[in-house]
Amino acid sequence: MSGYLKLAVKNLLRHRTRSALTMLGIAASVGVLFSVLSFNRGFNEGLAQELERTGLHFMVVPSGCAHEVAALVLHGAVIPKFLDTGVMQHLQAADGIALATPILVAQLPNVQKGRIDLVYGVDMQALAAIKPGWRITGRIPSQPDEILLGHEVAGHEKLKPGDVFTVTADGRRLVVAGIVGLTGSQDDAFVYLPIATAQQLLNRPHAATAIGVKVADPERMGEITDALTAAVPGIQIVTMGQVMNSIANLAAAARAMSLAIVLIAVLISAVGVMNSILMAVFERSQEIGMMRAVGASRRDVFRIILEETAILSLGGGIVGIVVAILGSTLIETFVRSVMPYVPSGNLISFDPLLALGSVAFITAIGLGAGLYPAWKASKINPVEAIKG
Amino acid sequence: MIELKRIEKIYRRGAEDVHALRGVDLSIGKGELLAITGPSGAGKTTLLHILGCLDQPTAGEVLIDGVDAARLPEAQLVGLRRVKIGFVFQQFYLIPGLSVFDNIALPLLFSRKPASREKIAALAEMVGLSHRLDHVPAQLSGGEMQRTAIARGLVNDPEILLADEPTGNLDSENSDRIFEILRSLSSSGLTTVMITHNPDLAARAGRTVHIRDGAVHP
Repeated sequence: MSGYLKLAVKNLLRHRTRSALTMLGIAASVGVLFSVLSFNRGFNEGLAQELERTGLHFMVVPSGCAHEVAALVLHGAVIPKFLDTGVMQHLQAADGIALATPILVAQLPNVQKGRIDLVYGVDMQALAAIKPGWRITGRIPSQPDEILLGHEVAGHEKLKPGDVFTVTADGRRLVVAGIVGLTGSQDDAFVYLPIATAQQLLNRPHAATAIGVKVADPERMGEITDALTAAVPGIQIVTMGQVMNSIANLAAAARAMSLAIVLIAVLISAVGVMNSILMAVFERSQEIGMMRAVGASRRDVFRIILEETAILSLGGGIVGIVVAILGSTLIETFVRSVMPYVPSGNLISFDPLLALGSVAFITAIGLGAGLYPAWKASKINPVEAIKG
Repeated sequence: MIELKRIEKIYRRGAEDVHALRGVDLSIGKGELLAITGPSGAGKTTLLHILGCLDQPTAGEVLIDGVDAARLPEAQLVGLRRVKIGFVFQQFYLIPGLSVFDNIALPLLFSRKPASREKIAALAEMVGLSHRLDHVPAQLSGGEMQRTAIARGLVNDPEILLADEPTGNLDSENSDRIFEILRSLSSSGLTTVMITHNPDLAARAGRTVHIRDGAVHP
């Protein structure tokens, strides 16, 4: 260990509690910084993955608000506007389309139970393409009166495959064919049924909330959407990229806020460092006077104090990252419970570059906070300090 | 080798100007053991700090080997302190977390010289601390602390050792021991200047100068 470093370490160890508390402040702020940055990154990646997993390239919806569509795609919002499935003819006739499937999302009164169910009507054959990530207990419905239950619905009603879910107003018995495994998303709250059944129950024989489309060649998507928009009146095409942008925009405000709070925490910890080091400098002014007398220059004194700050910041930074990584599951559970939409998958994953960047950032801030105490120490007049 | 000529020192303390030294003339030869005595506030410490290039006079010349330290910039004063001067203080000023070895080696850090184990061990042996090298100051007696400080003052092989009441915090037995170390250092050629309030020790020094009200009274 170099002489200066050893001196700095020994000095910090003289006030263990104070050094530890200062380090804790830094650790807390860098831990939060790292968690927020990791979360933001994980959020964007998770979102992209989730959209990719839907297996669809764009949605055809009635002209309206793009945010509504984003909400529809990601957690099945109910939009009080419907498309006529007649649009399907245009889509099937269009060139370069691999799959087009109508989706009907609605609220359906459940007469028997006296409440309203969220229903998601979809062509069961296309389900594997729309929700490729699902694990299903039982099987995908093959009959018009068979349904699939979201995990939460099934759990709440204590239903298993083969049970009767409800008897509708016109006397139809809807039987549970399968139950979707826990997704951690809004998918858990829906009842999935064949789209034709949904249309009948809602008494809207040709209605759809949206039509999901998969193209054969994603590179030709622009061309295809342009042609469709021109040919079919009253529709709007929202690509997955646009959906992602909408969500990202919504999330950006929250992220800016959280980042601002983190930066304030970092600032507070920097003030803590400055305070702690400044106190140490004042306490040791006689000793600094002695060092000047035995040959230390102003610059030497400056360096000793700055190295103490560097050790505090670096140490605190590393501790903070380690704690953030160890506690990431806890943080993630908390975030999931408060955020309205969170993509599935690991949000906080260890990215060495981000960890390194966070530690470097806090060390730079810490060093900045150490400049003033170090300068102050270098200005101590040895003659006055030794006289005491 | 050291010559002070018409040294004046005025410094501000609060609202008043303190005239600490008033025309001090003093020359100290190589290997001399000089005791400075005088009442508190007479200017002894100020004189010692000027001799040690830690402070500069308001007027007058401080000739060390012919160079006037009174006119040198701080950067060169630091150099002089590293090469030519060793300091010993009444309160020892050892660094609590460092071992005796590291405390002795501390000035080498600033003069950018390697801390050779043989050299530190030889110094420790000279002051009778060979068995204490790995101890920290809290484990030492007052006499041992001051001997550590003397070894630290010698580690850069200075030409002048300046001691400000080195026995002020010690009992008579330890004071004697410290004094004997200083005397043997001076007889081996090290110029040694010591401030003391102890008339017995002053009487045993090679020469004594008495300072009162900022002036030398032989």
